[in-house]
Amino acid sequence: MDWRDIWILYRRELRSALRERAIVVNSILMPLFLYPVMLWVMLTALVFVTGLSERTSSRLVILDVPSAHVVLMDTLQARTSLEIREDVISADSAATLIRVGELDAVVEFLPPEADARGMDDNFQVLIRYDRAVNRSRRARDRVESIVAGYRRRWVEREASALDISDANQQQFRILQDNVSSGQDMGALLMGVMIPLFLVLMVALGCLVPSIDSTAGERERSTWETLMTVSASRLSVVTAKYLYVATLGILAGVLNVAAMFVSLGAIVGPLLVDIGDGADAFQFSLPLLALPVMIVAAIALALFFAAAMMILAAFARTFKDGQAMVTPVYWLAILPIVLGQQTDQTLTPTIAAIPVANAARMIRDAINGVFIWPLIAETLAVLLVMVAACLLLARAVLQFEDLLMGSFDGSFWRFAKERLMGKRATEGTK
Amino acid sequence: MTESVSVRVQALQKSFWDESRGEVRAVDGIDFECHQGEVFGLLGANGAGKTTTLRMLATILKPTGGRASLNGHDVLTEPESVRRSLGFYSASTALYPRLTGRETLEFFARINRFPGDRVTQRVGTLIERFGIAEYADARVEKLSSGMKQKISIARTIVHDPPVLIFDEPTVGLDVMAALEMQRVIRELRDEGKCIIFSTHIMSEAEKLCDRIAIIHQGRILALGTLEEHRQATGQHYLEDIFVHEVMAAEGSA
Repeated sequence: MDWRDIWILYRRELRSALRERAIVVNSILMPLFLYPVMLWVMLTALVFVTGLSERTSSRLVILDVPSAHVVLMDTLQARTSLEIREDVISADSAATLIRVGELDAVVEFLPPEADARGMDDNFQVLIRYDRAVNRSRRARDRVESIVAGYRRRWVEREASALDISDANQQQFRILQDNVSSGQDMGALLMGVMIPLFLVLMVALGCLVPSIDSTAGERERSTWETLMTVSASRLSVVTAKYLYVATLGILAGVLNVAAMFVSLGAIVGPLLVDIGDGADAFQFSLPLLALPVMIVAAIALALFFAAAMMILAAFARTFKDGQAMVTPVYWLAILPIVLGQQTDQTLTPTIAAIPVANAARMIRDAINGVFIWPLIAETLAVLLVMVAACLLLARAVLQFEDLLMGSFDGSFWRFAKERLMGKRATEGTK
Repeated sequence: MTESVSVRVQALQKSFWDESRGEVRAVDGIDFECHQGEVFGLLGANGAGKTTTLRMLATILKPTGGRASLNGHDVLTEPESVRRSLGFYSASTALYPRLTGRETLEFFARINRFPGDRVTQRVGTLIERFGIAEYADARVEKLSSGMKQKISIARTIVHDPPVLIFDEPTVGLDVMAALEMQRVIRELRDEGKCIIFSTHIMSEAEKLCDRIAIIHQGRILALGTLEEHRQATGQHYLEDIFVHEVMAAEGSA
């Protein structure tokens, strides 16, 4: 292996790649713009839809309002978001109208339970609605909030008339105190999004280059040209591998930068519009998180590049290559999505699961958690996987028919026949 | 023609495994030598073993038996040195579409160890020689097949190798492009290059080759100058000589 040759080959690969639209789009433009733009579009759409929902009035029927509570009726009628119909006089006919979508909810005042009649004018409210319909659920929420507020004030008034203090009437209260800072909330959001997108982007960054540098060369008939240059086979393969990994790293790093900027500049302001409390989210990263993320991106890129190139080496055309390599991309998502379901930090077990370990390591780093022995385990596991892939690649490339693209079959068939089967040496003949 | 041997092939063999046919001997113990300033022709029908032989000489494939050396370097033990001494041109050695002609030549010069300080000058000389200055800085993918052919030939010789292999170089070319190719090969021979030229087109072999080996089913049936072939077979035209040799081989088989 000669590093001078590798550098010349690497530069050639990179120069060609940066002139190929599919590679520039997948490895640079998508990581940089797609997800920030997608986030902006999604959140803007959410704001728009929320706004539309808020403007839609809820159609109600109110039955059997006790005379002592006409104020509640007045309150409900005063709300512009509620449209109260007076042409329906029974609960049954109202329920029918809800089922056919002509009404959103019916509010029925009932007498209190037998053991709750100690207080004059006590009442129950039954809200009938259709849970399967958004508009009906929204009507329920609107009415429930108004009735609950009215009822709380009424109980307080009645209790006060009976000389029962506020403290006495509510001996058992549930209080909440959110101790997380805006920074913690920002870290929570980043911890969910950045690891997922970083892994996806590194894999996406490797996807097209891995196919282009193997199956693409065969399809363009440049593979044989390359096989006649004086550089060793190992130098050729190393240059290609480093080139694919470089684009994977580039995609990952660009995406993290873009995500970080867009979370602050796009997502934060949009959360205010949705009403999630802008003050609750502050986006900043611990200083150490950056090198940890970059190291994770490098390790992931080395792994994805090796795995994808092995599979793509079996393809004769770009299309075949896409079919063979794309499953790796989707497989990468599974452990991350499962890993998102828990608040657990990196453990020795998770650190032993490739890809999931890197995602968790990044999430921990965003949250300011650095468990160095487990970070070391994560990197060691990924590097062992890389080494295993490279050893496999070396074994596979010993077979001339595969090297020249005349082997007709997938990696699985090859592994079965050549690496494990009885005809292990035939390809070299 | 000088007598300095640039390519030596001894009992060279290549077997493949084919699922339906089992072990196939594509090249079955061939011997020949090629000298500086000589065009050596490998003449054979499709599937005769020409390309496999040339790919072994170019170290793309490994021989399963016998020996071969180029410019004194063994194809098995010194593959990088062999490739450095060699320019290989075939219908399946395409150019990188997203590089320009100039970038292509610079890349192949550098990767084949042409002295770095002379690369620019060498590339300039070849651009001039092949008349490709007008489109040297355009991407290869934008060029016509004739333009690509010129860049391909320049790519093959850019590192000034002593041995050149042309594997069916005129396949798919129009008449004018094929004639241009023949002219270039003659020029290169006159510059002292050792050229191995494979073809199944008899007229090309007749016009270009100093010596011709007739190859059939992986074996060399006859080897010599055109005159020697005529004397040995009593036939005048190469086409008749070829048919005579093949029929004789199949009759004795």
